[in-house]
Amino acid sequence: MRPSARWTPYLLIAPALLMFTFVVLVPVLGTFGLSTFSWSGTNTAKFIGIDNFTRAAKDDVYLQSYRNTFIYIGFTLVLEVGVGLVLAGLVSMKGKRTAWYRAAFFVPVMLPMVVIAVLWGFIYSNDAGLLNAILDKIGLGGLSHVWLGDPATALPAVSVVSGWVYAGFYMAIFYAGLQRIPASLLEAAALDGASEWKIFTRIKIPLLRNMVEVAVLLCVTGAFQSFDLFYVLTNGGPDHSTEIVTTYLVQVVFRDHEVGYGAAMSVVLAVVVVGIGLIYARLRRKDGADLEY
Amino acid sequence: MLFYTAMTAFSMIYIIPLAWMVMSSFKSQTEIFDSPFSLPSSIDFGVWSQAWNEGGLGSYVINSAIVTTISVTGILLFGAMAAFAFSRLRFRLRNFFLVPLALGLLLPVQSYFVAQSTILDKLALTDTRWTLIMPYIGLGLSLSVYLLKAYLDSLPKELFECARMDGCGDIRMFFAMVFPLLRPGLATVAIFSVLSTWNEFLLATLYIQSDEYKTVPVGLVAFTGRYSTNYPLLFAALSIVTIPVIAIYVIFHRQVIHGITEGTMR
Repeated sequence: MRPSARWTPYLLIAPALLMFTFVVLVPVLGTFGLSTFSWSGTNTAKFIGIDNFTRAAKDDVYLQSYRNTFIYIGFTLVLEVGVGLVLAGLVSMKGKRTAWYRAAFFVPVMLPMVVIAVLWGFIYSNDAGLLNAILDKIGLGGLSHVWLGDPATALPAVSVVSGWVYAGFYMAIFYAGLQRIPASLLEAAALDGASEWKIFTRIKIPLLRNMVEVAVLLCVTGAFQSFDLFYVLTNGGPDHSTEIVTTYLVQVVFRDHEVGYGAAMSVVLAVVVVGIGLIYARLRRKDGADLEY
Repeated sequence: MLFYTAMTAFSMIYIIPLAWMVMSSFKSQTEIFDSPFSLPSSIDFGVWSQAWNEGGLGSYVINSAIVTTISVTGILLFGAMAAFAFSRLRFRLRNFFLVPLALGLLLPVQSYFVAQSTILDKLALTDTRWTLIMPYIGLGLSLSVYLLKAYLDSLPKELFECARMDGCGDIRMFFAMVFPLLRPGLATVAIFSVLSTWNEFLLATLYIQSDEYKTVPVGLVAFTGRYSTNYPLLFAALSIVTIPVIAIYVIFHRQVIHGITEGTMR
């Protein structure tokens, strides 16, 4: 449709575009620029080319933060997407009568991550902790542990909290997808004598494949961006065992005041996240046609 | 029967921590330590009001309410205006303006907040409410424009052409017709934006230093630091933040689940 006056479209997009330019576009370009400088935020910036990037490649803590992030991704794929898928399969067997359970699983998704982190800090805590108290109660007191204080258990412990929060989210997504599968299809399978398990693995999961792929992408890119939970629970410790990309980045920029170095890390993060997104989009386009249902 | 037993057992993983949190807020310090599973001997909201008033939780909630209201209003209004122009009006450089907005859907804020914080700092905007409101609007706009544009694209074009034939200009058409038409789309964007703004932590913790502007997530971390040994007070603070969310969720759960899943899956 032709605009009623030449200027109206520009007037309509102006507020959104100006705001977006100011807080996103200019900072994106600025971060790229800063990544080539050595700058503390207050001294005179010095151009150093790609030195920040070569420094990152040799920074042990930085490399460990990526290793930890990959381990975290491994945990969350199982604890969030995997558990979410199983939960969706279970609640979809009984459909509408499970509304109450679905509601309970979804509650943590809405809460501020900080609230969840503080709460789980108490659950894992050594003195008044709920987890150790439960273990004690059921006679497994020998297993009680300083969960977040031991480098061996800290990262899995944080991942469990992440799973506790997001399993319900992925369940909701998959449940919505399962509701769209025509009932006639499932009835036909049941008439042919297929068990619930067979229906789940042979019919439901294949039909959900698209959604599972999107969920995996969300989970992976989300892991690179998670911050609140780690910052409040462990802030990277003990001994960098829960140091992830974002916690280290924030520490470098805001505690060590290495703005240029931090900017370089940001650029790498942007390339990784966008790269994963693009590779994924390409993979999907390749075998896209036969996935439609 | 087995099914419901198993599901109930599993849902306990969700209910026990939350119930433990609320119950502990009514207990004394020693009760929390010595008998973690017992019911509180009495329900006394004294600790709750202490957390709200002296603990400063009340002012954090007010700050969050102000920041969230202004940010979400901006996200909805600016997003709808732009979505209408991009969806229904033909103008030069349309794609040139639309493509960068897609960047916002792709790039995580962690990849540009270094320069963003520098800019806001140089403009002396850090430690004001605007230092949060402006990034929140910018962050929310991409999704808002994208979802609302998709919604408008799905409407028949005759709707808009008829209004034009009746002599309706773009601006009037937007306020009289498009904005009301967009209600379902706006509801989805609103739910998603309210939750992500209310819960946002990274920028809030980096950009706000003074206690008087802290929002709930950052304020709660400060609160935890201030009262790190007063367990009943801490549990009361957590409960105060959690219970309204659950109450809202119980009433609007359909819309909330739809809004969050739609907003994240895009």
